[in-house]
Amino acid sequence: MIKIFIDKDPVEVEEGTTVLKAAERAGIHIPHLCYHPAFPPEGSCRMCLVEIEGFPKLELACSTVVKKDMKISTKSERVVEARKAVLEFLLAEHPLDCPICDKAGDCKLQDYYDEYGLFESQFKEVKEKREKKLKIGKTLILDQERCILCTRCVRFLREVTETQELGVFHRGVHSSVNIYDGATVVNNYAGNLAEICPVGAITDEDFRFKTRSWFLEKRESICPLCSRGCNILIEYHPGFARFEVPKKVYRIKARENPEVNGFWICDRGRYGYSYLEEGRADQIILNKIDGENVLTWENISEYLGEKIKRLYSAKKATGIALILHTWLSNEELFLVHKIFKEDLKVEKIFFADPPQIEADGYLLTSDPSPNIRGALEIGFDIKTVDLDALADGTDFLLAFGPFLSGLFSLGDLKEALDKIKGKVLFSYYSNELNSLFDIVIPVALIAEKAGSLTNVDGIVQSFQPALEPPGESLPEWKVLADLGKKLGIDSKFFEKFTSPDAILGEMGKKITFFQEKE
Amino acid sequence: MIKALGYFIEIIRGILITARHFVVNLFFHILKVLGIKTKRKGAVTIQYPEQKKEIVSRHRSLHRLMTRPDGKPRCVACMLCVTVCPSECIYVEAAEDPDPEIQKYPAKFIIDLGRCCFCGFCVEACPEDAIRMDTGNVHFAQYSQQDLIYDLDKLIG
Repeated sequence: MIKIFIDKDPVEVEEGTTVLKAAERAGIHIPHLCYHPAFPPEGSCRMCLVEIEGFPKLELACSTVVKKDMKISTKSERVVEARKAVLEFLLAEHPLDCPICDKAGDCKLQDYYDEYGLFESQFKEVKEKREKKLKIGKTLILDQERCILCTRCVRFLREVTETQELGVFHRGVHSSVNIYDGATVVNNYAGNLAEICPVGAITDEDFRFKTRSWFLEKRESICPLCSRGCNILIEYHPGFARFEVPKKVYRIKARENPEVNGFWICDRGRYGYSYLEEGRADQIILNKIDGENVLTWENISEYLGEKIKRLYSAKKATGIALILHTWLSNEELFLVHKIFKEDLKVEKIFFADPPQIEADGYLLTSDPSPNIRGALEIGFDIKTVDLDALADGTDFLLAFGPFLSGLFSLGDLKEALDKIKGKVLFSYYSNELNSLFDIVIPVALIAEKAGSLTNVDGIVQSFQPALEPPGESLPEWKVLADLGKKLGIDSKFFEKFTSPDAILGEMGKKITFFQEKE
Repeated sequence: MIKALGYFIEIIRGILITARHFVVNLFFHILKVLGIKTKRKGAVTIQYPEQKKEIVSRHRSLHRLMTRPDGKPRCVACMLCVTVCPSECIYVEAAEDPDPEIQKYPAKFIIDLGRCCFCGFCVEACPEDAIRMDTGNVHFAQYSQQDLIYDLDKLIG
């Protein structure tokens, strides 16, 4: 550790770090456009100029390494003047078509002009005419006029995906980012380009002109589409109540987590957000029920508890079968394990997960469900559903998840399920599968509840609800905790579980893997 | 007691002022009706709707959307008016224009005049001078709220 002075304040920093990083750690923001923490400094935008005592010229904060007793000023008159000048040069060739630019609102150039610029342009010359709408990838559109040549995109494709589809062509005022002879950007991480572009040069067709970024609410969550568990930001529009425009998710962005996904997410996670809203089940469905009319979860949990208790006391718990999936959080799987495996000693526990996908060797894994590792650590043996074994001698079936329909045809499922007397489904979606069950209870997706997931590398990540669950949907941990209480075998154990945190705390006591790490 | 007397004096003075205005206005108005002294303003009443008050140039009246020379709307659906509108009465949906110089145009542009408070913020926020409130039309009362919802065709027309 060495001591440096930033704006006269002494700061202790690690040796070998850069001025920009040191300032960031001290809570001082130095404006920058081309610098991205994932890449080595490039120094092409010149926005991060700072004054260092003893240096004749202004220095680049992003690439200057700190030295002992360095005296840096980030707000001196010379620096402010230089920043303004740099912005003026950047904007000299910038088209200022913010009204039709999707980046407006989270554009760094816009922010910096507002903070450090606010000048009248002195340039009277006509701006260079360039390509305005160049399709460079499946969903990417390049606007060369807006580009400030920070080369973040070029460096991303060189260093992260190593595919190098983009390059800087020509020289001087004519230089522009472009693709090589019609070879478009094709890789599973292309969506990140629109995100790292500090201006609106690369925009995403998936988001193009749909809404404006300042309307969007941002919520943290975890991507459930593979077992990597990438950290994401879900951005949704709260809706225009006056015009009956409902709430809608517009995009998914990567959230930094150096342990899991770094700064990136794959395109499967970025563009596959339709699962959040399309075809969701939002009310409890009763297809067939013996006895009184039950329509609230309160009544249904009573009914289910009674039913399972009766089977248990008649020593017929072996007639209970369970279909689980690994979109369930650690807490939920733990509760299932406790209720059905430990207390009721149910043997027929199957798993129905979405079919395997092709891994891409970087972030995307071959398991399209987020918590397989968690299920293994809790003590489940992941057996895929076998319809014959499932139907054989089963009186009562509790099925979780909508993924059964992806594994078997509806006819086969109907044949097997018709042999079972009582069937209950907890599903996210309303589809044909629901008609095969007596009771269908809508449940909340990972983005709509709290809990934790164990990723492929064994990292336990907690998450909080990002969206509201639709209609009557309930989080499964609540469903299971209620069921545990109603069963009455060990109801004291379930009473303290009022939140997923409480369940995770209990798990830490019972399973060493989930112990809180120091 | 003396204080209460003061109040009475003021009330009587007020009544006298009103009465004077009444009598003077009545006198000149009768003269005007009879065709004498027509240039002098009689009663202040404007005989609406036969007689209409002139609308000053800065008056904020019914909105209109401006068009480009070729008849397309000048609006680029940047949604700044939607953002700034305090009564949340504007709704815009953007669409892709094949011309790369235009790129974005409003597929839907709806103003709910039943909610509009005629503050003129949308006009000020517009970066393209696409919306103006200078039609001079202040007579658009309707029998149903639905008829007060103006869409793109109505606003351009």
